[in-house]
Amino acid sequence: MILEDAPPVKLKGVGDGFWVTLDPSRSEELLKNEITKLFERLKHLAINARVVIDVGDAPGGDDLVNALGGFLKKQFDVGVVTRPPEKRVIPVERIRQRDLSRGWTQHRSDVLMLRGRVRSGQNIEAKKHLIITGDVNPGAQIIAGGDVLVMGRLLGQVHAGRPGNDESIVLALDFRPTQVKIGEHVAAGLGDTTNGQVEFASVVNGAILVQDYLKSNPFGRIPWPEVI
Amino acid sequence: MEGRIIVVTSGKGGVGKTTATASIGAALALEGKRVAVIDMDIGLRNLDVVLGLENRIVFNIVDVVNGRCNLRQAAIRDRRIENLFLVPASQSDNKDVLTTAGVDRVAKQLRKEFDYVIMDSPAGIERGFENSVTAADEAIVVCTPDVSSIRDADRVIGLLYSRSITPKLVVNRIVPEMVERGDMLSHEDVLEVLSIDLAGLVPMDEQVVIATNTGMPLVLQNDSKAGQAFRRIARRLNGEPDLPVVVPSVKGGMWNRFTQKLGLKQ
Repeated sequence: MILEDAPPVKLKGVGDGFWVTLDPSRSEELLKNEITKLFERLKHLAINARVVIDVGDAPGGDDLVNALGGFLKKQFDVGVVTRPPEKRVIPVERIRQRDLSRGWTQHRSDVLMLRGRVRSGQNIEAKKHLIITGDVNPGAQIIAGGDVLVMGRLLGQVHAGRPGNDESIVLALDFRPTQVKIGEHVAAGLGDTTNGQVEFASVVNGAILVQDYLKSNPFGRIPWPEVI
Repeated sequence: MEGRIIVVTSGKGGVGKTTATASIGAALALEGKRVAVIDMDIGLRNLDVVLGLENRIVFNIVDVVNGRCNLRQAAIRDRRIENLFLVPASQSDNKDVLTTAGVDRVAKQLRKEFDYVIMDSPAGIERGFENSVTAADEAIVVCTPDVSSIRDADRVIGLLYSRSITPKLVVNRIVPEMVERGDMLSHEDVLEVLSIDLAGLVPMDEQVVIATNTGMPLVLQNDSKAGQAFRRIARRLNGEPDLPVVVPSVKGGMWNRFTQKLGLKQ
């Protein structure tokens, strides 16, 4: 977006060349004058440099870039003048293909994974997701910026999605926490029998709802694995 | 060889720390070891009463730590059980008069003099607890089969682990009838939450009240179930770790024990 009071020409160094951002609504003369001012300061650095001229999506941009490119080559001996590379729009099919093949290989996860028993009085905080393989005893408190998965009994206090991430879930093989918070929502005194089901809590219609994980299968509808 | 310092602690008050300290201490002395029981509950001393030695107190642990007397002057020898010594707490001070450095210094001396030093920790996890565990090599956590006691024990276990002490658990005041009816947590339920090694299970026993009030060590009474349980705990600490844990049962008869061994009954 170009603001009203923005200068008509902006120049910045990019890699081995220069990136010139223009306001195509201004007259060519004015732009040439502005460019001259900027490139005169560059002196010998401009010689043989690669220059990218960004005029946005305005119609007739190619003509303007060609005209200015010729001008720059003549006046300042710059090397190549091009328009910015097109931002590639990747079709959904391609994303799927890429994700299925190698999407997660370069992913550095923010998951904190712990093994063992979390005891009363202990306080565990994770920046993003938290996985505990073990039990969380009553009186313990676990907090995560994202999801919380407990591969064991969850009997303590749990806060997922802090602060304000209502999309987070809390899942436990034995789901009996004393208090659950997700984002800004709080639920206490959840029933204490689970009948051996794996349950999870999520925010549905502004309230925390605990459901049988396998029956409601919240992530089953995501058709391909995605990195979170 | 240096002696072992064992702290008896629980977090929650009134679960039987002092009774456990007195009984385990006395039982270890009966096994022929030289034992000192130390009351670390400064300001609220009880251990002397439980052991029936309250009339013989001249000096106390605060005097020893602060250098007003030496250890031998403060240690009271029990006349009924050979090799059992009590270092009482002070009743007039509070927990802040001791420092961990002072306790550590006395502990070094205690290790040289005795085979076992049993420290009776006060309830809570503040200064008194810090002072009791600072020199400990081992710990016994006492809890009763109720939710509040378990939660406090859990917290204490976490604190002990953070000091690299692996505690053992004594579940006290088990009422087998209530466990059978489902009105009381069983020791399996307790262990499920706390998941540490079990040192022993102690049943509820009226004899404990009588022994405490008369100052007669529980382990000297052969008909006391709790006393027997504490004697087994002492044997487990004293080189017999594989002594089987007897689960308090309603009848306690041969048949029950037999079926338990066979794994037919929990």
